[in-house]
Amino acid sequence: MIETLIQIFLFGAVVGGIWGLVASGFSLIFGVSRILNFAHGSAFVSSAFLVYSLVNYGYNLYFAVLAGLILAAAIGTVVYALTKPVRDREVMVIILTLAFALLVQQVLLILFGDRGVSVQPFIEGVAEIGGLKVTYMRILSLILAVICLAGLDIFITKTKLGKKVMATAQDSRAAMMVGIDIEKIFLLVMVLSSLLAGFAGILYAQILSVNPEVSLKALIYAFAIVILGGLGSLRGSIVASFIVGYILVTTITFLGARWSEFVMLLTIVAILVVKPTGLFGVRE
Amino acid sequence: MRYAKAVLTVIILVAAVTSLCAQPEKAGREKVVVGVIGPMAVPEGQAQEKAVKLAAEEINAQGGILGYRITVVVGDTKLDPNTATSEFRRLARVEKADVIIGGFSSGVMNAMMETMAETKTLFLADASSPEHAKKVEQNYEKYKYWFRVSQNNGSTFALDLADMVKFLRDSGYEVRKVYVIRDEHVWTDPVMQALKPLLEEMGVEIVKDVKIPRGYSEYEQLILEAEKLNADVIMPVLAISGTGDILVKQWATLKPNILLAGHDLYAIDAEFYEKTNGMANYEIFIADGGALVTAPPTEKCREFVEAYRAKYGHYPESHQAYGAYDAVYLYKMVVEMAASNGEKDPFDPEVLVRYLERFNASNPARLTRTIAFYDNHDLMWGDNYVRNWISQWQDGKQYIIYPPSVANGELKLPPWIKK
Repeated sequence: MIETLIQIFLFGAVVGGIWGLVASGFSLIFGVSRILNFAHGSAFVSSAFLVYSLVNYGYNLYFAVLAGLILAAAIGTVVYALTKPVRDREVMVIILTLAFALLVQQVLLILFGDRGVSVQPFIEGVAEIGGLKVTYMRILSLILAVICLAGLDIFITKTKLGKKVMATAQDSRAAMMVGIDIEKIFLLVMVLSSLLAGFAGILYAQILSVNPEVSLKALIYAFAIVILGGLGSLRGSIVASFIVGYILVTTITFLGARWSEFVMLLTIVAILVVKPTGLFGVRE
Repeated sequence: MRYAKAVLTVIILVAAVTSLCAQPEKAGREKVVVGVIGPMAVPEGQAQEKAVKLAAEEINAQGGILGYRITVVVGDTKLDPNTATSEFRRLARVEKADVIIGGFSSGVMNAMMETMAETKTLFLADASSPEHAKKVEQNYEKYKYWFRVSQNNGSTFALDLADMVKFLRDSGYEVRKVYVIRDEHVWTDPVMQALKPLLEEMGVEIVKDVKIPRGYSEYEQLILEAEKLNADVIMPVLAISGTGDILVKQWATLKPNILLAGHDLYAIDAEFYEKTNGMANYEIFIADGGALVTAPPTEKCREFVEAYRAKYGHYPESHQAYGAYDAVYLYKMVVEMAASNGEKDPFDPEVLVRYLERFNASNPARLTRTIAFYDNHDLMWGDNYVRNWISQWQDGKQYIIYPPSVANGELKLPPWIKK
């Protein structure tokens, strides 16, 4: 039984950590610029594919990861530039970002096909914790995800720049009136969010594997988590990510793999019925 | 004089009608039109198109079929039955395809078979559902134009998997308990139905039968559970999940004292080893379609994979390539047979069905695989025909390890297995 509990605790935390990286960025973008970025999954998969390709061409893994993160940041910049002229029209933003996501997916399909690719892990080997086998990479992913999420939280709440981001999120016009360059803040948030998604994609491809379709999965998970956590609430998204991770893993353990996503989505719906604003959301 | 004119007119009209009736169906033929249909955004469809074009190019270089050049026309099913039937009809009616090759996906095939019957078009097909051949059995006149060329009837997968367990036992690896991980999809149900009694006969217990949804990735938990249940083999029955690579990666990382042996469609991909960073090493799988790039069962198959690589820069991306390539040559063979037997229209599907049926157990066609048909036009299964060879990834190369008649390698156990 203890072994099962350790398994649920560790596996759930890792799944939650990775989706937390994706969802927190998605939430941040919405919170600050009120944009539903449907191209968020593009950074997730593109960075992983670039790392895979560079490593296969013989480049150092850490150099490849750096290049993958730069690509993710570039995708964030492109999405910022594309959405800037239509930012006030929500439907246009959704159509534009969705079209961009589909375009990236098609390019990846042409370049790599629809089969998954794996990225060489930062660390190899298996640890035994309480009789349970866990790969070092899963443990490292959890640590890295927690560091990133904690760093993001500190950045937003403790630094001057972070406070400008918060101010823009609360009221962009007021922020502009007190001298904050909100365009720079929008760009910063978009790049930062894409970096988080890109890093999550690389970790995901190291533990599992990515194929072009995973971009849609990443988007659906991020969307579901952000709604569960409360639209625009960064901490809500992080907590919701871990809830989702634990629901998935617990369902696989006790009910079976086939029910995992079904139970996860059902729980989200149930929570939203009770609390329509999400766990940490507030009525606008 | 007036009567003479009328009689002459009648004679000319009668002569014209008679001559029209006596003409073959495609009078004034200038070419042979070969249609290829499949999901062109995925490797299964792309491989079929490329293989058909390669075969057509080779045949055209040798003078075509009865002197007529082959023109290839392409239809995209988009894995959607409605699109597939529209595309099939377009190829048959608008493009006037003499034969249509391809398919993929049993549900889509079911729909296309209706259009095939409506247009009476010869269909040298892919997909594995037993239902397709059953249609020919139950309504021969309607569905006789359909022949399964690419791969065996899905119900034979159980025979292959049972043989795999028997082979492992005969090779000294004791198998008493099997942990099955399979697609939550209709195609795996008949496989499991047939497999269970076969394993029971051998005294093998299925300790758990786990169904997984498409895109499932958390295999580590399942591997750990298989270990707890003392399974000797983790048997994937996966084609739809899209994540066979994740299973093999997690198995190779956790290194449980359990073999990974079953039906993993992704393992057939010649680039699977590279895509999994070598984690696919030691995975045992069955080679759908009866051919592997690194273990071609016939000389023609060896030539084909090399020609494919020379033309496209890579080996076939899917096993459907072999079937599609064979189908073009098979078509050429039957048309030439019909012509040499003096058939009035050697391209007539009604005629060609009879000639295709001549390829039976005692008279197979030797192409990239050895092809013969049952009475219901299903592809013949067996060591001497086509079957899903039991194969293994070993140091970056795929080897057939069973049956001995085609094996080019021996079973290698992973170094971490202690049995």
